[in-house]
Amino acid sequence: MTDARDTAPPLRPARRFDDGGRREEDPLTLQAHREFVPGQQLAPEPQDAEADALLAPGFERRPRRRWLAGLLLATLLLGGLQFGAWLLDAWRGDSLLGVAWSALALAAIGLGGGALLRELWRLRQLRGHMLLRDRAGDHWGSEAIGEGLALCQQLRKDSGIAEQDPRWQAFLAGDAAHHSDAERLQRYARHLLTPRDQQARAEVSRAASETAVMVAVSPLAWVDMLLLAWRTLRMLERIAGLYGLRLGYASRLQLFRSLLLNMALTGAAELASDAGADLLALGVAGRLSTRLAQGLGAGLITARLGFRAMALCRPLPFGEGERPRLSTLRQALLADLQRLAGKDRESNRPQEQYRENQPR
Amino acid sequence: MGVTRTLRNHVRRGLDTQLRLAVTGLSQAGKTAFITSLAAQLQHPDAALEWLGAAREQRLLGARRLPQPDLGIPRFPLDEALEALQSDPPRWPEPTRGLSEMRLAIRYRRGQGLQRYWAEDATLYLDVFDYPGEWLLDLPLLTLSYAEWSHQALQQARELRAGLSREWLQAAQRLDPDAEADENRLAEVAALYTRYLHAAKAAGFALIQPGRFILPGDLEGAPVLQFFPAPWSSEQLAAPVRSGSFRAALEKRYRHYRRSVIKPFYRDHFSRFDRQIVLVDCLSALNAGPQAVEDTRQALQAIMENFRYGRRDLLHRLFRSRIDRVVLAATKADHVTPEQHPRLLSLLRDLLAEPQQLLRYHALSLHSLCLAAVSATRAVSVDDGGKPHPALQGESLRGESLLIYPGDVPERIPEPAVWQQHQFAFSAFRPPRLPRQAPLPHMRMDQVLEILIGDHLR
Repeated sequence: MTDARDTAPPLRPARRFDDGGRREEDPLTLQAHREFVPGQQLAPEPQDAEADALLAPGFERRPRRRWLAGLLLATLLLGGLQFGAWLLDAWRGDSLLGVAWSALALAAIGLGGGALLRELWRLRQLRGHMLLRDRAGDHWGSEAIGEGLALCQQLRKDSGIAEQDPRWQAFLAGDAAHHSDAERLQRYARHLLTPRDQQARAEVSRAASETAVMVAVSPLAWVDMLLLAWRTLRMLERIAGLYGLRLGYASRLQLFRSLLLNMALTGAAELASDAGADLLALGVAGRLSTRLAQGLGAGLITARLGFRAMALCRPLPFGEGERPRLSTLRQALLADLQRLAGKDRESNRPQEQYRENQPR
Repeated sequence: MGVTRTLRNHVRRGLDTQLRLAVTGLSQAGKTAFITSLAAQLQHPDAALEWLGAAREQRLLGARRLPQPDLGIPRFPLDEALEALQSDPPRWPEPTRGLSEMRLAIRYRRGQGLQRYWAEDATLYLDVFDYPGEWLLDLPLLTLSYAEWSHQALQQARELRAGLSREWLQAAQRLDPDAEADENRLAEVAALYTRYLHAAKAAGFALIQPGRFILPGDLEGAPVLQFFPAPWSSEQLAAPVRSGSFRAALEKRYRHYRRSVIKPFYRDHFSRFDRQIVLVDCLSALNAGPQAVEDTRQALQAIMENFRYGRRDLLHRLFRSRIDRVVLAATKADHVTPEQHPRLLSLLRDLLAEPQQLLRYHALSLHSLCLAAVSATRAVSVDDGGKPHPALQGESLRGESLLIYPGDVPERIPEPAVWQQHQFAFSAFRPPRLPRQAPLPHMRMDQVLEILIGDHLR
């Protein structure tokens, strides 16, 4: 504290400018002392950085295995050259079959290399997105007026929103010079992310109810597992797409991995608070039928994963009251399943009546 | 048909809510401008009120002024204030003295909750009370005896404000405590004391007790305002009081002031407020100098003491305050360049550091921000030798156009060394020229509204 006071920059006095923009000479110019100014930008405390790394695993820059990448690239290159040479030889030797094989192999290598490059590019994009998200998170509560607008601009580009988008234009129109970084980011979230949140929430609830119903009607356990995996991956991809992330194979895996890690690390408390309500709902469903309870359980897992994925893909943290809640979804799920059970019973009823009417 | 409508009306009336919002601040802090702007913003809800949830979701239908329920309280002069802002050349509204009230009926559409099914449109009756922060400075008097208060007041008069209090002190010390009390003589010396308090106020001091002496409201000239702290030594004060003497008369009036002026305010008004906003003008205090800043700090501390639930039984019984949200706002944020706002906010928090901790401890919801009720300037950037330099564009109170950099705002209460080498000179601006019916430009009024009444517009 006292250090900060000692090194605080001198206060700049009031100044008057004439309309040409030149300022009048001022006897109290203390500009020479400006060298102290960078004192404000202190490095973040190491503890915080460690905690952040723990909470958002998988996206920090890991030491790259350069030799492996080099080896792979060299193999591809040499392979390509080799096949090129073969192709030439085959051409000269008039071996048409050889030419065809070599051309095929060359095309395969080209496609493979392209796919690899695309994967790498998408991984890079994912990491860029997550780093930007971290940076925005740092400014989320900042009352300073700094790079807020630039950050919003970057978020817009990252999410693939056009400069002419009416929402972005509305955001810019309402922007004022006195808005702090936190205020700007909140406005950005309100103008550009809230509509996406709604879409994402609808996506989660659709996936959850589909999974619930499918699992409830599916006869085999391994089919349940496949269904769950299929629906969840699809939902994840859609959510990521809504927030402007295009996933490749590797980046999808990485996102999924960090999602699971994230759930394990931070979801525990949330899980504990929700568990009671979940169990209650499951109990109600269990009364109706075991299969319904299984379906509800699967649906709830999907929804939980979906909301977590929203929090992970959304470029800004959720504000107060914006976080999607499981409670409303839980009721909707139960209602869906009950409707299903009702239909089931109705379709069974004529048979029962028939059976009752049978003479014993 | 008729029956349904009557029933509907009854139900609706039962669901409408009422909220009592108190606005205070030391005089010149911008209370009148704040209330005027608040009413104007709510009356034009399509204006830029982005942070107010109801306005953003286009559920805010508008506001209208209604006759107030408390007939004993002066009306807040809203029309006059709006007139002043829209006159040519525009003027700041006349400051209000004493307590005044304004009732607004705010109509909105419900966004959530079960009540939506009963009545879609609802009305929030917002009673805005404007009272001088100086009145809250009287609270400590309730716990001080006359001798204790005299001791404290004399110390203030002799130390920080010696130049201002000399005349009164000399006159007061010529009085003999045990002599027969002379009404006229008392009135004369009390007038000198009042003049000293006014001079202290003008010099930028904020901690002025008793508060009614400079803002008497309807008590102007009444004997209850004709007393002053005892200027005598502690030996003289230790002696028994002779009835009918000067000293007895002063003590009697002091007690009467406590009983009939301070307590009724707390009992009849303060204890019924739901929300409170305290406006602070940090810039004027900085302009006035180190004593004024220190004094403002003490005054704010004394004011904030009011929001803390009774430390002693006496206070506890007097006001079981219902206030559950307090907003501390640094006003006139448009008088400094935008990049200084974080510093202004941090200075405000430094001024209020101790009371803030207390309020947090008492689990009151507390928010601080800097705002401009009516934004009088435009933030621009000028070319300062090739580099952009922030500046403000506006008109001075006399009407000349200004393009200035008002100076840095210190992040904390300045150290003595800073005062020696730095002169704060924040300029005053006059209100902007606006076309008729145009919304008043503001800074963060919508955020304040969201904090103060947003939860009742759901």
